[in-house]
Amino acid sequence: MSDLMLKLRNLKVVFPAQEGIIKAVEGIDLDIGKGECVALVGESGCGKSVTSLAIMKLLNSPPALVKVDEINLDGEELKNHSDAKMQELRGKTLSMIFQDAMTALNPVMTIGRQIDEIYIRHNNYSKREARKLTIKALDLVGVPEAKSRANSFPHQLSGGMRQRVLIAMAFACMPKLIIADEPTTALDVTIQAQVLNVLSDMQKKHHVSLLLITHDLSVVANMADTIYVMYSGKIVETASKRELFTSPKHPYTEGLLGSVPRLSDSHHHFVQIPDAVPHPMFKPGGCYFHPRCSYCTEECKLKMPPLVKTADGSEYRCFHPLNLKGGHKDAK
Amino acid sequence: MPNEAKSIIMELEHLSVDFPVKGALPFQKKRRVQAVTDVSLKIESGETFGIVGESGCGKSTIANAMVGMIRPTEGKVIFKGQDLFALERKLFKEARRDMQMIFQDPFSSLNPRFNVYQIISEPMLIRGKSTPEEMKERVIELLRLVGLSDKDLYRHPSDFSGGQRQRIGIARAISLNPDFLICDEPVSALDVSVHAQILNLLMELQEKLQMTYVFISHNLAVVKNLCDHMIVMYLGKVMESGSTKAIYKNPLHPYTNALLTAVLDVDIDNQKERVILEGDIPSPIDPPKGCRFYQRCPMAMMGCKSIAAPLIEVEPGHFVSCHKVNGFPEPYANEENTRPLDPENE
Ligand SMILES: Nc1ncnc2c1ncn2[C@@H]1O[C@H](COP(=O)(O)OP(=O)(O)OP(=O)(O)O)[C@@H](O)[C@H]1O
Ligand SMILES: Nc1ncnc2c1ncn2[C@@H]1O[C@H](COP(=O)(O)OP(=O)(O)OP(=O)(O)O)[C@@H](O)[C@H]1O
Ligand SMILES: [Mg+2]
Ligand SMILES: [Mg+2]
Repeated sequence: MSDLMLKLRNLKVVFPAQEGIIKAVEGIDLDIGKGECVALVGESGCGKSVTSLAIMKLLNSPPALVKVDEINLDGEELKNHSDAKMQELRGKTLSMIFQDAMTALNPVMTIGRQIDEIYIRHNNYSKREARKLTIKALDLVGVPEAKSRANSFPHQLSGGMRQRVLIAMAFACMPKLIIADEPTTALDVTIQAQVLNVLSDMQKKHHVSLLLITHDLSVVANMADTIYVMYSGKIVETASKRELFTSPKHPYTEGLLGSVPRLSDSHHHFVQIPDAVPHPMFKPGGCYFHPRCSYCTEECKLKMPPLVKTADGSEYRCFHPLNLKGGHKDAK
Repeated sequence: MPNEAKSIIMELEHLSVDFPVKGALPFQKKRRVQAVTDVSLKIESGETFGIVGESGCGKSTIANAMVGMIRPTEGKVIFKGQDLFALERKLFKEARRDMQMIFQDPFSSLNPRFNVYQIISEPMLIRGKSTPEEMKERVIELLRLVGLSDKDLYRHPSDFSGGQRQRIGIARAISLNPDFLICDEPVSALDVSVHAQILNLLMELQEKLQMTYVFISHNLAVVKNLCDHMIVMYLGKVMESGSTKAIYKNPLHPYTNALLTAVLDVDIDNQKERVILEGDIPSPIDPPKGCRFYQRCPMAMMGCKSIAAPLIEVEPGHFVSCHKVNGFPEPYANEENTRPLDPENE
């Protein structure tokens, strides 16, 4: 057995539309080790959610057209699994935490019942046993007065509490892999800190693998082991957290890091990346980032750079990588 | 900046805003949301004034009261020396033209059926003082100012990215040369990589057009580099106020501290010890009698529950509302009140 929990190879997802084809995901490889927290970072529309839904095999087809070489979960190939088989896996081996708890929860069922069901369905516990476990699980994710709160309906809880409930549900059956899609984006800063803390603690305690999806690099600074940076449907850089934050190789990563304001800054100018993310139907030729890149050359306009591996296992998709020998790069 | 005392463009005097809410059940009596309670502040001409706090603390309510869209329950809004809500209709309208607002969501704040020209020229059209030629010229000038071009004149909002839409919203807001601009979370709905563009644009425009800004945000890293003075709010009340420099150098209120450490930092060698607050933000319906923050405060004392915490000047211009910092006022400064709050007794 390998150390990999998830091995995804060459995932492609397109959405045919009237005016053309949206290439949402263009050949992505993703490795998640056992007990590892991997972050998938990128801006709105770059294909993060589509990637996670494809791994769970939750994309409706049509409209989505999915092609993939391998979706290997702890040695089991999911590519050709039937819907029924996947249904069984989801919630047991694989589970997901969504950004919008309100749509992920059943509004007319108490949260206690919803968690009970997971225990009952997957482990054949009795109702009484299940409720005991539910209360314990709610307690673990920091829901106060878990016993009485279990009888609340989703709308009676605050956003932070609902997100905790989703975390409790995701961990209920000790899955091997949890995918959390922007789990804290909708929350206030102090609540966001609480929820991330809970998620991180749970992940370490139970040694599950976690795929954390976010558009906010600062969220992963505390949690992720490895980071994948995605731009317009492609991975542009992969590296360990330290490597990525201290010596980013792709100009987009550098730009993202630079544009996050820091408390330690004292200047009155924010470092900016020009223009905006390309429209998914009209991506530029060559490297997708070239129109916004300050290092762009003729070559970049003509050819898509390949993903290049470095000695330390990082990868980058750029003809003019930065910080190649490690260490800090001086300002441009 | 001239040397003489800076003029005050906007002043709030003991501003309170309540909203009536229905009881959960029909026979229950109406209750009131205390969205903003007793907020006083002064904004200097030409500065950027920050309002910081979490969801529901009353930031947008203050903004709406400043521009005359919400009538205060108590207190005054004084714009350029005049009590805004005491002005006669015509003067009120005129004053409102000098104040504009940029909204958080550039997707819902622009009319999707209008083209860019119609959107930006609408305020001029309503004022009715310009010819169509003048308006068109002005719109093109505005588009250039915000980094768009005359090619965009007849396109519709749906043809633009979030950042570009926010630029259109900014062009519209500055079309009548306001001198007071409120930016209510202007980047939180945008892609991360365009945050900096919009913030830089706002600063550039402020310099060019000599505007005063009120900048509303929950991101303390942004506020730090943008604002001259700021207030930190919690559940409708000011917890701390002062110059941005003083507050960042010496944050006094436990809530300010928690907010500061909750800003996740991309500087991975510099991850600070985070203060993680317990519990949720309570409801502004029937807020606590004492300090509004006591339920989540890591330093709360018994007295914080029932004794209101006045906003007291700790160093010149730096105010904080906290019993831990200021001590209890006289008859309450006893041992019972200063005992740490026992969460079990809650
Ligand atoms: N059902 C669908 N039909 C057509 N296009 C779709 C569909 N779902 C997603 N897309 C397109 O696929 C691309 C990737 O979408 P995805 O939801 O994965 O983005 P994301 O990275 O999760 O963004 P966000 O940060 O906004 O959640 C987008 O361009 C989107 O418009
Ligand atoms: N028209 C209204 N009727 C009733 N309650 C209201 C109304 N407007 C605001 N409130 C309440 O007043 C409080 C303050 O709201 P406000 O919108 O000012 O908060 P905010 O600080 O801007 O929050 P956010 O960060 O979410 O925008 C909230 O509890 C809100 O629910
Ligand atoms: Mg998404
Ligand atoms: Mg608001």
